[in-house]
Amino acid sequence: MGRMSTQENNDRIALLQGTLDLLILKILVLGPCHGQGVARLIQRQSEEVFFVDHGSLYLALQRLEDKKWIRAKWGVSENNRKARFYSLTPKGREQLTEKASDWRRLARAMGLILGGEEA
Amino acid sequence: MFRRKRSAEDFAAEIKAHLELEADEWNQEGMSEEQARTQARRAFGNVAVAQELFHLKGRWQWLDKLRRDLRFALRGLRHSPGFAATAILTLALGIGANTAVFSVMNAVLLRSLPVSDPNRLVYLRTSNPPRGTGTIDSTETFSYAVYDALRHQGRGLSPVMAYVPLSSSRVAVRYGSEPEEAEGDMVSATFFSGLGVKLLRGRGFREEDETDHAPIAVISYNYWTRRFARDPDVLGKTLYVNDVAITIVGVAAEGFEGVEGGGSTDFWIPLQSRPELNAWGNPLQDGKNYIANQTWWCLRLIGRLAPGNSRMQAVAQLQPVFQRAAYAGLGTPTEGEKPPILSLADANLSEYNRQYRNPLHMLMAMVGLVLLIALTNVVMLLMARNRVRQREFSVRQALGAGRGELLRQLLAESLILVTAGGALAWAFAVMATRLLGRWAQIESSLAPDRTVLLFTLGVLVIAAILFSLAPLRVALAGGAELALKTSAATSNTDAGKSRAGKVIVALQMALCVVLLVGAGLLIRTLRNLENTSLGMQTDGLVVFGVKPNIQSIPEGVAFYVNLMNKLRALPGVESVTNMEDRIGSWSSDNSDMRVDGQLPDVANGSSRTVRSNVVGPDFFRTLGVPVLAGRDFADSDTAASPPVGIINEQFAKRFFPHQNPLGHTIGTDNGRYQMTVVGVVRDHKYRSIDEEPIPMAWYMYAQIPMTGAMHVEMRVHGEPLAILPSARKAVQQMNPTLPLIRPMTQRAQYDLTISSQALFARLAGFFGFLAVVLVATGLYGTLAYRVSVRTAEIGVRMALGARRGQVVWMILKGSLLLTAAGVVMGVPPAILLGRALTSSLYGIKPLDGVSYLLALMGVALVALAASALPAARAASVDPLTALRTD
Repeated sequence: MGRMSTQENNDRIALLQGTLDLLILKILVLGPCHGQGVARLIQRQSEEVFFVDHGSLYLALQRLEDKKWIRAKWGVSENNRKARFYSLTPKGREQLTEKASDWRRLARAMGLILGGEEA
Repeated sequence: MFRRKRSAEDFAAEIKAHLELEADEWNQEGMSEEQARTQARRAFGNVAVAQELFHLKGRWQWLDKLRRDLRFALRGLRHSPGFAATAILTLALGIGANTAVFSVMNAVLLRSLPVSDPNRLVYLRTSNPPRGTGTIDSTETFSYAVYDALRHQGRGLSPVMAYVPLSSSRVAVRYGSEPEEAEGDMVSATFFSGLGVKLLRGRGFREEDETDHAPIAVISYNYWTRRFARDPDVLGKTLYVNDVAITIVGVAAEGFEGVEGGGSTDFWIPLQSRPELNAWGNPLQDGKNYIANQTWWCLRLIGRLAPGNSRMQAVAQLQPVFQRAAYAGLGTPTEGEKPPILSLADANLSEYNRQYRNPLHMLMAMVGLVLLIALTNVVMLLMARNRVRQREFSVRQALGAGRGELLRQLLAESLILVTAGGALAWAFAVMATRLLGRWAQIESSLAPDRTVLLFTLGVLVIAAILFSLAPLRVALAGGAELALKTSAATSNTDAGKSRAGKVIVALQMALCVVLLVGAGLLIRTLRNLENTSLGMQTDGLVVFGVKPNIQSIPEGVAFYVNLMNKLRALPGVESVTNMEDRIGSWSSDNSDMRVDGQLPDVANGSSRTVRSNVVGPDFFRTLGVPVLAGRDFADSDTAASPPVGIINEQFAKRFFPHQNPLGHTIGTDNGRYQMTVVGVVRDHKYRSIDEEPIPMAWYMYAQIPMTGAMHVEMRVHGEPLAILPSARKAVQQMNPTLPLIRPMTQRAQYDLTISSQALFARLAGFFGFLAVVLVATGLYGTLAYRVSVRTAEIGVRMALGARRGQVVWMILKGSLLLTAAGVVMGVPPAILLGRALTSSLYGIKPLDGVSYLLALMGVALVALAASALPAARAASVDPLTALRTD
């Protein structure tokens, strides 16, 4: 399960299952990447809002691999380190499209409600 | 999910690589190498925990998930306690009733004898006894002569074993100073060895024990436990059976309680020849016991097929021997008489328990229907509940929960419901089993055994899977997009959703009709039985047995004359009489009779059989049976006066058509006793409440050479049982060791003859009631749900001018249509059920209009009751509120 926290305050919020999976899939659509890279990219692309617990990340990667949404292969990183590279499978790609659209609609719905409340 | 694809080392290597990459990056940003490594580790969190989790994941993930699923499901159920309670109770009642009936069925019908190689054991049967014999049962009992011939035949069956009770109920046994009653059988010496029953202690019987009629006994494990507290020194102790000293020589293996299902024999003794130990506790007839009396067919026989012999071969070898021995003491068969034919029947308990088979199968079917209703009810409850939760499911799907996860959650909920329901069901079943066991008079241990357990578990597992799958379709049908529909009104009224629910309710209605018709037929049968006129006044009648130890006929007569005089003198006693066969206890003496010196001619097909009883003075006055002509027996009818007999209307009608029977003579079939008819009495019930009238004759006990046990009937003022203490005192003035045998009111004695019908009817009624309650909750749940989701629609209708009456009618119409559909579907199977019940009915036809009418009214009432609340709620919808809800 993805456990994440926002950096600003260290309150841990139990976020919904599937969010971390979705983020991983989204990062991997750009190309094969190792775990550390995935963590970095998530952090950067969320403008440092998400901080990924690395332990959970690897378990999530393992789970996605078990589901055959991603596959992994040992390789060599740019700075010549041995690393395990993950890439999307066609099934993973499908899942990404599906989940991303679900998420967007949910986010929009949430936004509508929250936005309305503030106004 | 359970298979490890990756080694822990590989995972560790990946984490190591990650830490290096992370450290490199911090290093690049200007940290020292050591700081970078620390930072990388800090960022990762606990490496060991991650590895531990990975390690556990493969193996324990499912367990962990299960625990979480269960916790989640529990939380869900806690939020709807009404639903949970209904579902659990429904399951408990359905499954509990099922288990109970199945346990008893298993004990009575399915279990075979606790002996070695029971498949080779057979009961001996005869097509009919020869003319001129007396029998206990016309097809199941044999004379000693037949037994003796068959066992010496040595071929076909080896051995042939006889067994016969020492009393038609229980026999008086004394151990130490305490008198009590127990069930004892006389058996062949080969009984234990032939059946293959092991002796826990001591020995069984030997050949010479039967020849010498040795006064020894083997006791059952149960009796050993109950009476002797498993005393290891029980061997050698003395039991007094009817005051005869018997030495205990063995204890039979646990579980063996005789070869008759439901029976529980306490002890066995070798076949005896003493008059005190005659078969069935009968007094000697003409001074002859069961061995000497060649025409008394009283022994039950069981045999083991000789090695290599089939049943057919055995019958072929034994038939001529049997037919010859059957006429021992009778001479040759009379003209045109069909000789008896020997046959062999499976020796298992079901053969013996035919009488319970049909009712138990019926109960099983009814319980099955109840279980079906209960299961569908729970499915419907779950479906309705999950439909309400559809938006919850949709949101969860949108947030990434897989179908598998939803399925697991539903499974977990079902598991909790089924487990709780199952536990409760077990408690209910234990209670109900005891009740049913008492009904079937199963005294042997009724522990729910493995088969029953497996059966119940099977039902539970199927139920669990069914419950999980049924709502899933609905849960998934919504899909993620439903989350965005914001109106409860629109999200829940997609077409076709409730069609399955309606079909199920209609089916339940149909099952309910079947159950109610069955229950109605049986309850009306019971009412008919209870209201059947016995033809006598049972109020104020009390009966008990006495078994004096008497050596001669005059002594016996003197005993009873003396006893009756003592009893008549008691305050509150109106009259006293006695009888050989207790009325209302199923026992009867049946034989052909001579009328005016010869066997009467009867029209083709009708029977010459007459039922007779030997009774005392004032017999009919005491019972309150009207004497239509002539007189009752009197004290003045003695051995010295001319022998007299009294007959009933049936007898007069069949054997003295268009004549005055008074003054004619009647006699036993062998012509030895002749009596003059001095009275004709009105037909009345003799053996049982449900019997058909049959020709009957009564003889005066003082004129018949018989001695021994008789039953005393007293008519008293006030509470009948209140006379017993003083009656006991009167009996014990004559002999201090004599107990009153089975004292009870005469009405209670007659009621015993319909006790099985009564319980059958009550159980059927109970199941009918259960069905009604279950169907009502099911219908109520469905309607209430439909009203709740249609609130907005109803609001619109009312805003557009629909009147409240129209709204109520809209809801009622729905449930009445379902009822009508259910009735149409239910009547044909109900007719089939009624036909199957035919043999259990009394005084009504299977197509009994009243029962059907009551059943239809029952379901209509259910429908109305279940609709009332939802309809009222629909009518009270305030259009404005309803439209403003979303």
